[in-house]
Amino acid sequence: MEGVYTVSNGASQFGDQAVLKWTYLFTGTDTTHYLSIFTGTDATYFNLEGTPEADSLVLKGYWRKLVNASIGEVRLILREKHNGKLQLFKGSLAPGDTLVVDGLYGDKSAALNNQLTLTYNRPLNPKPFSIMAHRSGGRTSDLLPASENSVEIIKLASRLGATGIEVDVRFTKDGVPVLYHDNTLNLRLIQKNGLTGPLEDYTYQQLSTLVRLINGEKIPTLEEALETVVNNTSLNFVWLDTKYIGPMDKVQAIQQKYRQKALLAGRNLRIIIGLPTTEAVDSYKALANKDNTPILCELDTSITRSLDARIWAPRWTLGPQTDEVLAMQAEGLTVFVWTLDEPEFIREFISQNHFDGILSNYSPVVAYYHYIEQQ
Amino acid sequence: MVILRNIVARISQSVGLLVVVASFALGQSPESWPLQPGIYFPQAPLPGKWRKSVGAVFTTTPPELTEEVRVSVPAVDFNIQRGLTKHLFLASRFQTQFVQSNLGLGLRWATPLTNRLFLSAGYDVTGWLGALQIKDVFASEAYGVETFPSISMGYKLTRDLRLTVKSEAIIDLYYRSQVGNLAVVYNRRAINGFAFTFILEQPFYNQRHVSVGIRAAYSNFNWQLWSLYDTFDRNLFYPQLIFGFIL
Repeated sequence: MEGVYTVSNGASQFGDQAVLKWTYLFTGTDTTHYLSIFTGTDATYFNLEGTPEADSLVLKGYWRKLVNASIGEVRLILREKHNGKLQLFKGSLAPGDTLVVDGLYGDKSAALNNQLTLTYNRPLNPKPFSIMAHRSGGRTSDLLPASENSVEIIKLASRLGATGIEVDVRFTKDGVPVLYHDNTLNLRLIQKNGLTGPLEDYTYQQLSTLVRLINGEKIPTLEEALETVVNNTSLNFVWLDTKYIGPMDKVQAIQQKYRQKALLAGRNLRIIIGLPTTEAVDSYKALANKDNTPILCELDTSITRSLDARIWAPRWTLGPQTDEVLAMQAEGLTVFVWTLDEPEFIREFISQNHFDGILSNYSPVVAYYHYIEQQ
Repeated sequence: MVILRNIVARISQSVGLLVVVASFALGQSPESWPLQPGIYFPQAPLPGKWRKSVGAVFTTTPPELTEEVRVSVPAVDFNIQRGLTKHLFLASRFQTQFVQSNLGLGLRWATPLTNRLFLSAGYDVTGWLGALQIKDVFASEAYGVETFPSISMGYKLTRDLRLTVKSEAIIDLYYRSQVGNLAVVYNRRAINGFAFTFILEQPFYNQRHVSVGIRAAYSNFNWQLWSLYDTFDRNLFYPQLIFGFIL
């Protein structure tokens, strides 16, 4: 069922192509499957769950455009086109049959009164590519249903198209590594509570008791975040962005602990420490033992080489840097670009086909352009 | 047009009575008030005459773009105008922050509606250009063209003090952005937002006059923040403080 579909009814709202991709979430021994749809207009994603109704599989959920506040409900049914005739999908396709997903969606009104028809066109681009969601899934300012750098958005990240996440690591006053982006507690990220100033001025107990992120979640510890990645998601990459200044040994220990946990769970999960500044590089250099500590360097190629980093991640605002990218890849390095949100540039970077992955607040856009790319 | 002018005149007379009672204390008729220089006030310079100003504009960044950091970005602001006829004049404006600049050229038609109330309609086209070359951070440049149809109402509050309220639509005509050797172009005409400006103009010292005011823009894009690559398809609030010496 995964693939690139042609949009007929609904193209004015969602564009003329859509990517359909299954993801799943583990909760204990339960697995919940979700169908995501990514379209080429306005960073749109659909979050759908399948439920059997009578003799058909019904997909229900919502669609959302990340660039603005557009949102609506959707209800789709799986059908097949057999001998030119549309009928309910029976569970398998005969040669020459085409899968059609159609139904209704709502927009400004709650009523589902707009037709949406998606017809299977071709398989997804199979080329391996890292689609990394910034701030564990996306920015709070994009009005997502979960706050940035929360456990809840980590669980949402796959449905937004991500294969990996970047998280922002800071330390509380009592030395607990937690996820938080900004330099201070502020109303952009947290609910009003009277607390201000650097997060580092508060103990974990204080933050846990008194602070809630903008959608009501607690500020997670790095361990809670990685526990979620390992136990609940299919994400295969975590980029630990170093927002703190100081010793890196605690983060290193946690990175190694969860790498082992992932291996024991049969997961090929890469947990990488990101080095965005010279201070972070110094902290890394000060580690007593650098074995099994994969790093990603955001600084220039010479520093990246000198650290023996396996991943180089330049800013996208430096351009494609094709010669440098190819040279680093020839030396065996992986090259990502960050933080690229501008849809036209995402399309261009992907069509140029040099980078191994893109870090973005708009992982649905990266997913769309990656999966529709024809090799 | 005559009907419109009469309606506007009646409204303004009513409002004027409420707002500027104090000005009548001067005991002087507006007809005898001398022509004063103003850059924003909707009154054409005399044909063949120039008007110029130099000042600064401070634009506060919206939190959606700069997140926890709120900065007021200053730009040097030059204005020059030249009267063409009794009602028609050319207006040009240049704003620069050195790494990014904006040059506008427009035509205005202005007319008095009453002794105190003035009206103008204008159409400006601006071109902007920005370029940033910072090691390991930026190898970027962008430029674009925007157009601003506007209507201004001006009121002589007192002999010396003039209030101008200007409303503008902001329309994007062209945008090109380049990082390294890769460029994208948006070549579509789209309404980007709108803006309201409130300006007071009055004498300051030594026969010089000043323009002081605010501009509230609600727009999808602001040329001064091109390097932040705004992806929101929603109007953000860009408040601006404006200060200019009329030369």
